[in-house]
Amino acid sequence: MTATATAAATAPAPPPVTRAGSDWAIDLTDVSKVYKGGVHALRGIEMRVHRGEVFGLLGPNGAGKSTLVKILMTVIRATQARGTVLGDPVGKKSTLARVGYLPEHHRFPDYLTGRQVLHFYGSLAGTPRRELRRKSDELLELVNMTEWASKKVKGYSKGMRQRVGIAQALMNDPDLVVLDEPTDGVDPVGRREIREILVHLKEKGTTVFLNSHLLSELEMVCDRVAILVQGKVASQGTLEELTLTRRGYHIAIDTDDDPAPIWADALPGMTDGAWRGINVVLNNDTAQLLTTDPAAVMPVIDRLRAKGVTIHSFRPQRPSLEDLFMEAIIDPTTGKELGPGAAKGGRR
Amino acid sequence: MSATIALFHDAYRELNSRKLFWITLILSVIIVAVFGLFGLNEQGVSFGLGKFSWTIDSEWFNSTIIPPKSFYLFAFANFAVPIWLSWVAMILALISTASIIPEFVSGGSIELLLSKPIGRVRLFLTKFSTALLFAGLQVAAFSIACFIIIALRGEAIEWRVFLAIPIVLLVFAYLYSFCALMGLLTRSTIASVLLTAVFWIALFGVNTTENVFQMLRIQREVKIERLEAAIDRQEKRAEEYLARERANGNDPVPAGQVPEVYRDEFEAVSPTLGPRRRDLEETRQSLATWQRWHRILFMAKSVLPKTAETTGLLDRYLISDKMRETLQKLGQNNRRGGDQSVPDEDDEIRIRGDDREVQIRLEEAVRGRTETWVIGTSLGFVGVMLGLSCLIFGRRDF
Repeated sequence: MTATATAAATAPAPPPVTRAGSDWAIDLTDVSKVYKGGVHALRGIEMRVHRGEVFGLLGPNGAGKSTLVKILMTVIRATQARGTVLGDPVGKKSTLARVGYLPEHHRFPDYLTGRQVLHFYGSLAGTPRRELRRKSDELLELVNMTEWASKKVKGYSKGMRQRVGIAQALMNDPDLVVLDEPTDGVDPVGRREIREILVHLKEKGTTVFLNSHLLSELEMVCDRVAILVQGKVASQGTLEELTLTRRGYHIAIDTDDDPAPIWADALPGMTDGAWRGINVVLNNDTAQLLTTDPAAVMPVIDRLRAKGVTIHSFRPQRPSLEDLFMEAIIDPTTGKELGPGAAKGGRR
Repeated sequence: MSATIALFHDAYRELNSRKLFWITLILSVIIVAVFGLFGLNEQGVSFGLGKFSWTIDSEWFNSTIIPPKSFYLFAFANFAVPIWLSWVAMILALISTASIIPEFVSGGSIELLLSKPIGRVRLFLTKFSTALLFAGLQVAAFSIACFIIIALRGEAIEWRVFLAIPIVLLVFAYLYSFCALMGLLTRSTIASVLLTAVFWIALFGVNTTENVFQMLRIQREVKIERLEAAIDRQEKRAEEYLARERANGNDPVPAGQVPEVYRDEFEAVSPTLGPRRRDLEETRQSLATWQRWHRILFMAKSVLPKTAETTGLLDRYLISDKMRETLQKLGQNNRRGGDQSVPDEDDEIRIRGDDREVQIRLEEAVRGRTETWVIGTSLGFVGVMLGLSCLIFGRRDF
């Protein structure tokens, strides 16, 4: 974990946990999983998800994302699980009546139609029988599958199955929806529709826990994210928090001359990559000033303009989720990508 | 409750989608139709209906000796249930339902089910019960059809026919509990079917061996009784003979002059007594051996499900004692020999498996096993299988 990520990973102090009053939809303080043969998939996960937010879980293959999701959904038994889901201890079955789940590689019975799938899983989730029809029609409309509702699932494309999968996860009007790769196999139009569904859920106050490889999508919809590396949370927080120390302003000048003297004039007294306490990264005709205060950058602009230097561009800069992700999975000491977390006999 | 109803509703839809379910059902209807075409009239056994019927004349097998109702009940209890429902339909049912557990625990399916607010044990047991639904529907359809046939052809309303439903379901549950455990362990339909077939054959083997050992034991018990009676009789005769001869002043065996080859003076005057006494000793030793082996087999059988004996319960419930006696007499008329009368002095005592006394005692021994023992111990096995399955399913990571 990098120093900046460590700083950003500091999560807010947990509120007192009560079933009704907890602000956390998910509050994990120590979740571990050791598979048979001593494979450590999770090594003391600490993670908190606010009620009503869209939370993104990301990490490289083998980081333990699916294991964590499956533990939350009681599909896998944790070796140790201290924490709560919707105010109840992790693993409590009755809590799942308030949770919707779409597994990554789900498989619906081929002999069911889309509507029957919703009725079946809705019934299992505890949706009252009288509600099934209304609710399924409503959700089929939401995922744009009304026309296909009476067709057998075996005739569905991957994207259509995914849409029905999302609908079944919502049949019980859940307080928390856990979606594992919901856009897998879905075309761009469908992805956009799914994003809209997520926004709709958020507006309703539903908490969405999203596990996805598509960082750009997570970035578009997530309020907060956690990056899982080698079975541990490398960093978590809002994008603002995670990028706080890496945000700044990017200045590009247009010159045929050597840019070094120009920057020396514009940033007088810069030593060891710092100017007036602001970290500066120079790269030929561009400069990155790592500060969130635009006023602090104005003197540089003034000096450049006073010297008659053409400013090609001046824009605020924020690292993307992909930048954060790549930074988290690179070992700072070796510069190489960290291996999967499911390492046999690995350290906790 | 609605979750359980949903699981059963889903199981029904699943069955509907399986061709084998309908094939088995159609075959059942054909079997019942054939069953209905057989009948009894005053001349003998008939086949067909109305103008299109043929009769095989029989003096001892006709409606004057056996009422049609009894004939159909006997055919139902001894052929339709043990052969069709307990073997052919059972195999088809196992093949049809063997995939239920492996598919249930397969990736992509199990995650969705486990993520619902239903306990794992309840989920597994409900899924297990849905497989019983298959067998239940099949045997229910078959029994209803047979009930109609007996009502129309046998002219009797025989509600006891529906006892076949719980009895066949029990037998299916014995086998399917093992099949479900294998499906859970191997996650393979083919492996679970094959292992269940092997298990079933093993059960058949244990059952047959136990029957054979029991018959051998009873054979020896009967033989010992007959030998003891014969020896006793011979000794008395020898004693009388010696007393009579000695009273007449003759002593065939002067006191203290019994040849060494004889054990006592009785043997000296009754040449077959010695071999019989030796035969009795050997038979007693042999009986001890067979009793030990039978006890071992019986203990093994006690912890295993008793498929044949459970099916046999139907025979107990459906066939009256009077009917059974009639059928036994018919069987004796058909069988030539098979029974050995009280042996004469010079006869060698040999007891065959089809000796009437042996057959009666064998049947008494089998019938002496109570329903509680037959069903209770078998359900104990089902309980162990389901307990193990629930333990594995409850603790497994998917």
